[in-house]
Amino acid sequence: MDLAAQVANGFAVALTPINLLYCFIGVFIGTLVGVLPGIGPISAMSLLLPVTLSGTPESGIIMMAGIYYGSMYGGSTTSILVNIPGEATSVVTCLDGHQMAKQGRAGPALGMAAFASFIAGTASVVGLMVIAPYLARFAVAFGPAEMFSLMILGLVIVTFLTQGSMLKSLLMASAGVVLGLIGLDSITAQPRLTFGRIELYDGIGLVPVVMGLFGVAEVLTNIEQGIKRTVSTTKISNLLPSSEDWQRSRGPIRRGTALGFFLGIIPGGGAVIAAFASYALEKRISKTPEQFGKGAIEGVAGPEAANNAAAGGAFIPLLTLGIPPNVVMALLLGAFVIHNIQPGPLLMVQRPDLFWGVITSMYIGNVMLLVLNLPLIGMWVQLLRLPYNILFPMILLFTVIGVFASSNNIFDLYVMIAFGIIGYLTRKLGYEAAPLVLAFVLGAIMENKLRTALIISAGDLTTFVTKPISAICLGIAAIMLLMPLIPFLRRKREQVAIEDGQN
Amino acid sequence: MKSSGFRVNNAELWGGAIWFAVSLFVLEQGRRLGLGTVNAPGMGFMMFWLGIVMAGLSLGVAAQSIRSEGPSIRALWAGTRWVKTLIVIVAFVLYAYAFTQLGFLLSTIPLMLVLLRAIDPVRWVIALPLAFGAPLLIWWVLERVLQIQLPTGVFEIG
Amino acid sequence: MKRFALALIVAAVAAISGGTVSAQNYPAKPVTLIVPWPAGGSTDIAMRAIAEAASKHLGQPIIIDNRVGGSGTVGPAQMAATAKPDGYTVAQIPITVFRLPLMQQTTWNADKDFTYIVHLTGYTFGVTVKGDSEFKTWDDVVKFAKANPGKVTYATPGAGTSLHIGMEQIAAQAGIKLTQVPLKGGAETNAAVLGGHTMLQADSSGWKGLVESKQLRLLMIWTSNPSPNYPGVPTLKQLGYPFVFDSPFGIAGPKGMDPKVVATLHDAFKKAIDDPAVQATLAKYDMVVNYKSTADYVKFVKEVTATESKVVETLGLKKKE
Repeated sequence: MDLAAQVANGFAVALTPINLLYCFIGVFIGTLVGVLPGIGPISAMSLLLPVTLSGTPESGIIMMAGIYYGSMYGGSTTSILVNIPGEATSVVTCLDGHQMAKQGRAGPALGMAAFASFIAGTASVVGLMVIAPYLARFAVAFGPAEMFSLMILGLVIVTFLTQGSMLKSLLMASAGVVLGLIGLDSITAQPRLTFGRIELYDGIGLVPVVMGLFGVAEVLTNIEQGIKRTVSTTKISNLLPSSEDWQRSRGPIRRGTALGFFLGIIPGGGAVIAAFASYALEKRISKTPEQFGKGAIEGVAGPEAANNAAAGGAFIPLLTLGIPPNVVMALLLGAFVIHNIQPGPLLMVQRPDLFWGVITSMYIGNVMLLVLNLPLIGMWVQLLRLPYNILFPMILLFTVIGVFASSNNIFDLYVMIAFGIIGYLTRKLGYEAAPLVLAFVLGAIMENKLRTALIISAGDLTTFVTKPISAICLGIAAIMLLMPLIPFLRRKREQVAIEDGQN
Repeated sequence: MKSSGFRVNNAELWGGAIWFAVSLFVLEQGRRLGLGTVNAPGMGFMMFWLGIVMAGLSLGVAAQSIRSEGPSIRALWAGTRWVKTLIVIVAFVLYAYAFTQLGFLLSTIPLMLVLLRAIDPVRWVIALPLAFGAPLLIWWVLERVLQIQLPTGVFEIG
Repeated sequence: MKRFALALIVAAVAAISGGTVSAQNYPAKPVTLIVPWPAGGSTDIAMRAIAEAASKHLGQPIIIDNRVGGSGTVGPAQMAATAKPDGYTVAQIPITVFRLPLMQQTTWNADKDFTYIVHLTGYTFGVTVKGDSEFKTWDDVVKFAKANPGKVTYATPGAGTSLHIGMEQIAAQAGIKLTQVPLKGGAETNAAVLGGHTMLQADSSGWKGLVESKQLRLLMIWTSNPSPNYPGVPTLKQLGYPFVFDSPFGIAGPKGMDPKVVATLHDAFKKAIDDPAVQATLAKYDMVVNYKSTADYVKFVKEVTATESKVVETLGLKKKE
């Protein structure tokens, strides 16, 4: 059977009314949990896992997949509106998305996030259809040494995201790695930095850290400055991106899609790195890098494209090798096995209807998401019309619920408040939170990879430069580290300019 | 505001000093956890080296603050409504403490009232329904629909 | 969907009506079952299947709460420390709950801090190599390892897991030295072998699909009897090693539970694992039912702790007093 026939076969499965319904339920729930912080795709999917038992395998898996890529759409909404990233992948969207919202351009930001997601999502489905079988090897080629070098590259990329001093962002990144190491050591299962608290055995949760550093810290800063939202409501008129916005976003979407698709395949922090890398790339090649962090639409379009493309790429190792590259894919694997289907190399041969049905449903699901999300933009923007004195208690309540719902643990509430205060203070001193979050997500994996790489190579440090993929990553990282030494003086001038601009 | 040289109330300098203390702590924790050997790195291996890197970086921040200007601590908070921020922080900390003692509803409703009335006062007509309505709605959704248990507190309410 | 909605309604009604709770009308509200492994993993799915069947006999929904971490000990430890012994919170008890206290400082005492309810089932572990590996049998591995001590690397889902302890015991018996590469769960061990980053992997049957498609080769399984799913693959006993590792697990609550409540829970779960549908699901994950009554389970815990203590000591992993 050639590809066209298989795709047609897939559409025949995906377009049956019952599967369309499940697809819609999936993307709808996905959008919802993406918007609600704390309740991410992981908890939604594990709650709904038993439900998939009642229908056919196709329907169940189509729905679960819908929740996943749907949540990628929804995740940017809170990032843009209230500076609370729904997930680690939408942390970068906060940087410029929320600035746009503050300038009364929440509509175009949300619109561009939706369009970029749509374009990248569908493009990655096409990529998935055409080159999935060839890319399976690419995923397992990343052993510990390669992963470690990729993450080093990811962290170096972070230094480009900052407005202020590179020293400060490197400090925040290092602190993030240390925070990521808290908990039971993945190799010896001994507690580290837990100070006898059993809640810390599992490490600090990402949700309370992110909610604290972004959500709570933002509220504290705003209250202090006495921000009134009334300024922005007058300019809210245009809801959709203008043609100028499109002009500026075209390149970022294209590059973000490619970057996201390939990095999404890699197990571990692939999708998160993709979003950060896209942002750094756009800032680096932009003619107006000084606009980044102050509401540049490229900073929304690129990363949003990247994280949605990554969601598509992540299916490759699962469908072709049966290896889930992240927790969400592991859950999807669960949905497969519940129906007595083993995803893996034989899936395409044994169950072509299922394989192509799920993939083509993702195409349909992306269209549904766009239709679903565009009308919602108007509603979200209305939310910003609320006076801040009513809005901020609601945001705080939202963070409390998000943190509690995700872990059901009071300890996480303390963690969130602590990070809220830390975030507020570091912001005062010009330290950015984004590097810390990326490093926090990558920290424990990175350390594990460093140590396993050294165990495998029997202590030979050259393993990081003799393996080609690893050498390339480290090479790029080295170049990136050396480059900012030149514009170092210019950067300082920018910093002064920002301070003047704020007052 | 711009002056070079060493000043004790230089916020940047203090920032660097705090980071330096943190890095020493990390370094020491790493050392205590054990560095292992290079072919079997121990639990503290990465922490130890990170601590050294952080110490270097924080000294860099401190050096920079002496070489060039940095705002004084007072200047950072000058002209801001820091009292209001403090109220929110204190209310939030008390709330976290009360959360388990009093339960979700009995702690959240007062928190909402404080936040709505003490910062930029919202009219009672709006504040009251909001402070009672929002937590009740959330409580209903979590407890009854999603079956996420919220703390009930000593009075077993909620 | 209908069933799910129904469960919600039942739960809601029960939660509203269930004001005062005592052993007499137990269970009056949904029971939370803590599973200390990630959702979607083989343990999680097996527990969901069992819980679903058990909830029918219990007359109340059983809600799965995934509390992951510490090689499966964080969930039970948190339960022991915080939950009320009212029968509404119970946890799956993996073998690491007995083993980790022997290896390091822990917050719980496996003997005193739990009320053991029922023992359920165990895993099928196996060792695989890449499909095109030069190792055709386990003996090839042993031969190679004898010539190159420490050069053979094997991936496990974590240090201190039964896979780690098992491989070390096998290596000690064979007189070879292997190097453990502790990863984080099943997906990573598969990828490590497929990508040629480690020579072997030791893990529960997450390798099934890859073995069937011949991308991986299964060298041995650690169950007591040969598995009909993998004809021709020898067990440890067949290879001359006197071991069976299946990391059996059961369910327990916090200490001090009412015996009547324990009996109710025991009966519900016993009926669940007797259910052919549940057994079919378990078989899919190569899990064999291993029922033990409440009394036998308590006895079993004492035995396991004693043997584990010996093993951990021989391997030099015992905690320093």
